[in-house]
Amino acid sequence: MSDLFDMSAIIALVPVLLRVTTPILLAALGVHISQRAGVLNLGIEGMMLSAALAGVIVSAATGSAWIGLLGALFTGLALAGMLAFAVHTLKADLILAGIALNMLAASGTTLILFMLTGDKGMSGSLASQVLPSVTLPVIADILVLGTLLSGHHVLTYLALILVPVVAITMMRTPFGIRMRAVGENAEAAATAGINVIRMQVVALLISGLFAGAAGAFLSMGYVSWFSQNMSAGRGFVALAADLMGYGSAWGTMLASLLLGTAEAVVISLQGEGLPSELLQAVPYIVPVIALVIHAQRRKKAA
Amino acid sequence: MVIREALAPFILTVLLLIGILALVLVPIAMTQPDPWGMIDTFLLGPFRNPRHTGNIVEMATPAMLCGLAVALMFRTGMFNLGVEGAFFLGGLATVATALLVPLPALALVPVALLVGTLIGSSVCIVPGYLRSRYEVSELVSSLMLNFAALFIGLYVVNYVLRDPSAGAMVSYKIPLEARLPRLIAGTRIHLGTLFAVVACIAGSIYLFRTTWGFESRIVGANPGFATHLGLPIRRIMLRAQIIGGAIAAFAGGIEMLGLYQRFSWQSLPGNGWTGVVVAILARDHPLLLIPAALFLSYLQVGGDLVARNHDVPSEVVGLIQALILIFVTASAITRNPRLLAWVAGRRTENEA
Repeated sequence: MSDLFDMSAIIALVPVLLRVTTPILLAALGVHISQRAGVLNLGIEGMMLSAALAGVIVSAATGSAWIGLLGALFTGLALAGMLAFAVHTLKADLILAGIALNMLAASGTTLILFMLTGDKGMSGSLASQVLPSVTLPVIADILVLGTLLSGHHVLTYLALILVPVVAITMMRTPFGIRMRAVGENAEAAATAGINVIRMQVVALLISGLFAGAAGAFLSMGYVSWFSQNMSAGRGFVALAADLMGYGSAWGTMLASLLLGTAEAVVISLQGEGLPSELLQAVPYIVPVIALVIHAQRRKKAA
Repeated sequence: MVIREALAPFILTVLLLIGILALVLVPIAMTQPDPWGMIDTFLLGPFRNPRHTGNIVEMATPAMLCGLAVALMFRTGMFNLGVEGAFFLGGLATVATALLVPLPALALVPVALLVGTLIGSSVCIVPGYLRSRYEVSELVSSLMLNFAALFIGLYVVNYVLRDPSAGAMVSYKIPLEARLPRLIAGTRIHLGTLFAVVACIAGSIYLFRTTWGFESRIVGANPGFATHLGLPIRRIMLRAQIIGGAIAAFAGGIEMLGLYQRFSWQSLPGNGWTGVVVAILARDHPLLLIPAALFLSYLQVGGDLVARNHDVPSEVVGLIQALILIFVTASAITRNPRLLAWVAGRRTENEA
């Protein structure tokens, strides 16, 4: 009897797990692509934050969650374009430009929010929309499978579908192979006739789109508001997920699920009287431990 | 002519800074009913009142030290961003020691700062150790540990140091004997400012006149060459991060004992990120950190004054900082031979 109870408790955890994993996974796939092309997108945190605000503003202005999503995607894309411009045209340092982008986003979102609503903390006065969850036909009615597979958020399904798409694109298509060649050895790739800068710009733009989707999930996934610094380091967690993913999209997904599990367990323990501050620290300690284990394994393999 | 030539990069940086200020301030001023008043408050307000001018020096104190911490690590090629967390945790551990450990009045400040430095520096040292031992990216692990330090710190504030009679989540009052003495009447400039200036001078000597500093610069500039020389690279990298972390945590401690009555930070205070901008603006040169920190603090005080007197949040300063970071590192601009030649008043070779 108690086994049965545990099973159902674990099954009940799955939707929570997928919910917290979605933004990490979307952002981590974006980081993954940029990393493989040799232009690690450290600005992913700021892109997510800006996209989250853009989604709220656009969806409130148009009354459509989908146009809001487009606004978020466009914002991620535009910021990625700015990062690419700073790195390739202005020849700024990639890491420092990423840090600058995060600072720009943290201050810029607060300023814009204040100018639109007169409030620096929350977007409560904007009537923004929520992107829907999807109930799968037939499967939803099956007892356990329904909970596992149906009723999740549309962006959750998108993230899960994008994992094989990214994996196949990067590993099996000429486009992905060129992109990886640029990341492995830019000079050799250039000698082979690949336009290195164009590949890296494209990689950054794609990672901006992923950041846009991740940001939209934060402010339009289950809630209908934007709050100051709502990305709260998830972009950085995504960087860790990518590092833990052994350079593959599937690995990145597993790492994102692991980090999401840590967050989901913390959320479910928060009602149990444990100090919430210590629990909140856990999702940031797990990646560090995981990176150490990962590095040790890599060392042994070498 | 020769002097102008040597100063060209400096003049170019100043021109860039003026351009960035105009780029951010003019559009924001246009949204205000009194645009000239806002720009006037921002640029000249900090000098109208000695208290506000003093604020510049107060804010420059942690900026210099955090900038120094960042500069010493960046010079060694370590992108360790734990300065933010080390500053926070250093401040907290210093206050906790002053509150919890019964000490004679004379020993209170040195012991509290020492404990704060030891505990706070861990946010930089752990990523440094993981990098040199396991080759874990210090960039990512230090970003993670910043947040871990924040939440563990908030736990300590809430469960150990919290003063129940104070309305908010703040610590008990820091004992008066633990406060750093004020140096100039009418301002809050404190002893820590002297420490910061001395640290920048010492940092310059360390980096350019000692073996350790020399090793650091070689590893940062050219790791391959350092390997060739047989330098103990891992040890040199770790050393830079220990020193950087210690300076950042010390900065948090003196910030608390110099300016605060209670530990009241509820989130990461952002001084570490300011330190990154200061270090970049100073081109990782410890002596130049002093003017760079003063300049950024001047902007911060201007931004705070504007926030108080006009309908513009102080986050404007964050925008300016971010643009400084991008444009000062943009070597296509700052190392552009044509631009430098133009600033130096010299015609380029192809024109001549």
